[in-house]
Amino acid sequence: MPLTPLSRPLTAEDAAHFLRRTAFGATDEQIRALVGQKAQDVARAALTFDQSVAPGNPFDPLQGATPGAALQLGRGAWLYELAYGPHPLREKLALTWSNHFVIATDKVRNVPAVVDYLNLLRRHAATRSFERFTLEVAQSPAMLRYLDNDQNRKGKPNENFSRELLELFTTGIGAYTENDVREGARALTGWTFQGGRGNKQYLEQPRFVYQPQQHDDGKKTYLGQSGALKGEDIIRIATSQPTTATFVSRKLHRAFLADTPDDAAVKSSAETWTRTKGDVMAVLTELLASEAFYASRSRIIRSPIEFLVGGIRTLGQPKIDARSLLNLAGTAGRMGQVLLEPDTVKGWDGGREWINDTTLLLRMQVAAALTMGSKAPNLDTPPSLLALTGQERPAGAVLLSSLKGRQRTYLSLISPEFQLA
Amino acid sequence: MTNRRDFLKLSALAVAATSGMPGFLARAATQAGGTKTLVVVQLTGGNDGLNTLIPYSNGAYYAARPNIAIPKKDVLTVTPDLGMHPALRPLMKLWDDGHLAWMENVGYPNPNRSHFASMAIWHTADPAQAQADGWIGRIAEKIGDPFCASNLGAATPQALQASEFSLPSIDSVDNFQLKLPGGMETPFQSLLNSPRSGEAAYLTRATRQMLKNTARVQENVKKYKAGATYPDTKFASQLRDAARLIAAGVGQRVIYVSLGGFDTHAGQRAEQDGLLGTLAGGLSAFQADLERQGLAKDVIVMGFSEFGRRVAENGSAGTDHGKGSVMFAFGQGVKGGVHGSSPDLEDLSEGDIKYRQDFRGVYAEALTRWLNLDARGILGGTFTGPRWIA
Repeated sequence: MPLTPLSRPLTAEDAAHFLRRTAFGATDEQIRALVGQKAQDVARAALTFDQSVAPGNPFDPLQGATPGAALQLGRGAWLYELAYGPHPLREKLALTWSNHFVIATDKVRNVPAVVDYLNLLRRHAATRSFERFTLEVAQSPAMLRYLDNDQNRKGKPNENFSRELLELFTTGIGAYTENDVREGARALTGWTFQGGRGNKQYLEQPRFVYQPQQHDDGKKTYLGQSGALKGEDIIRIATSQPTTATFVSRKLHRAFLADTPDDAAVKSSAETWTRTKGDVMAVLTELLASEAFYASRSRIIRSPIEFLVGGIRTLGQPKIDARSLLNLAGTAGRMGQVLLEPDTVKGWDGGREWINDTTLLLRMQVAAALTMGSKAPNLDTPPSLLALTGQERPAGAVLLSSLKGRQRTYLSLISPEFQLA
Repeated sequence: MTNRRDFLKLSALAVAATSGMPGFLARAATQAGGTKTLVVVQLTGGNDGLNTLIPYSNGAYYAARPNIAIPKKDVLTVTPDLGMHPALRPLMKLWDDGHLAWMENVGYPNPNRSHFASMAIWHTADPAQAQADGWIGRIAEKIGDPFCASNLGAATPQALQASEFSLPSIDSVDNFQLKLPGGMETPFQSLLNSPRSGEAAYLTRATRQMLKNTARVQENVKKYKAGATYPDTKFASQLRDAARLIAAGVGQRVIYVSLGGFDTHAGQRAEQDGLLGTLAGGLSAFQADLERQGLAKDVIVMGFSEFGRRVAENGSAGTDHGKGSVMFAFGQGVKGGVHGSSPDLEDLSEGDIKYRQDFRGVYAEALTRWLNLDARGILGGTFTGPRWIA
């Protein structure tokens, strides 16, 4: 059964909810503009995006003097796009995929490889083919390097990518055996890249290459299918498993519905996934217009990036100088979310993992810097309580209404209501 | 085996029964009891035990690892058959003093080669993977004080999760204080007092707890005067913060520190050698600091990783995921030496060593004989292991 679509026209709180989840947050004016519209139209419009980017991005990773500096500039550039770009849902999806097909810049120190990887996530943000998306990720120099498949050769298998392809990218644990991991690794031999290796070549563009002499062309058996399987076959078989539909749908529910997804709702999305052969656009269109989506208020704890970008967008995208933006990207790291560098290949678990004494303290510091600090942007029109909390009458509404602009905004940003989406 | 559905039902009831404040937070945290501290060191990514405690007299070791074996001439000999990785030299004094223990061949039944499943097993002390709470979270519930165990780092590991709460994570002691803009204290308190439900209630509780924890640390932390120079690594600075918390006497019985990067699928020597150097440099400074402060008799360190690596190297001069591995422990309260027998490198299970000691037995020793707690209640069973506490 597909998810039931929302039948009522959007209320103000519906619209605020939609924009918190799909655009990190919005101003009162942006929220009001959606009131009265149909959920399907709103979802389709948000998912209709091109690859255009924010004008005037102050950061260019290719200007980095060292690999470390270049990657830091890359993080700044992405934060700028997240906060000021024309397509927040595309960026939210890229962020979600960067936490699914994980790479980490401390290992992939080549800048063009990282830039290409991020653009790949943007291009496939609402992909029509999860198989195609996975194949392109698997052949991206960033992933080849990160999970060592660039060193996976005939007779000398390296299992790293083959294992995570199943465990983390497609079927999830329990749907495969150790033998599938080994056979997958054999099939993926010969996929590597040329160029861009080593610290000095960090600005040189690497390219995927297939080296047939390094490929093990013998017979393999993978997830029940046998033959002289190649890398492309492994990707096709892994992505087309029914457990993949459930496993990846669940990730989308984690990103858009709740930190603890509802199994029945996930199953509905998985059925749509299977029926459409991994058409993520179809799954998302259904999801973002569903009753289940609109019923799941305040069930996601905002990640550090969602907190920062949400703050900037809710404040009406005030201009923040480049140095402060770089600092904010660093602060997100201290709150547990360095862009393009999760601690492990599993990515960030999210939810309550984001909340502890240290991160709460940092969130309060950031809120103060955005609203009350000496360099805080001007707030001629402070955000409405609806924009800040997603609710017309949030907890503490009387107290908050009695405060003046900056103080009200500060206190709202550190309230549990703002931390949730 | 525990029926997962029944377990979930039970845990749902348990949450309902303590709705609002979890039981251990509602009780007055009178005193954590005891003066001993356990520092747990997590090596994230699967540290290669065979290149940590090296069977240098074993030909099978060198045969399996033509490129990455540690040459016999480089190992730091500790027994006629075993030697430590040369990067661990800063720990040799502890060994010579009889205060460094190696637990050989540690693992658990039905080993899991997934980093995350295996790490969760070590965190929850539950190879059936049915439990969500961590073993240290359960210590906190037992003691009745949410501050009795803390993580040093940005994110709280599962080991420190309790049923409705996670224990504190302190990224840096210096920054562990609340500075509200002037005039905002009262409105902030009022805002926290508004009634809430669901995740909003969780966030309110977490914020209140943070206010208490930061006050407790800042009141006491000035008591510390550095007794050693620490290397310039994040890991070492976290250990320095651990020493500060211990010196401040704020009541932690367990302190948790992690060092990541051990997933050495390629070019292992360069990577692991550096990491073990970081490990040993930080730990030896920590020990020197404790000794200078007169605290060394009350603190022990216990280290683990989620698994070891395959015995044979792979084609990239690295190693893939394996099963059992070594654990280590040190401190004046530790009985030094090698506990347990080395793995048989010619009798393998799918290319991996067969574990002989259950890690829960190693935990049990720390729980009962160091922290003086009921290990059975925390580990969900009786486990015996090496007697590594002096």
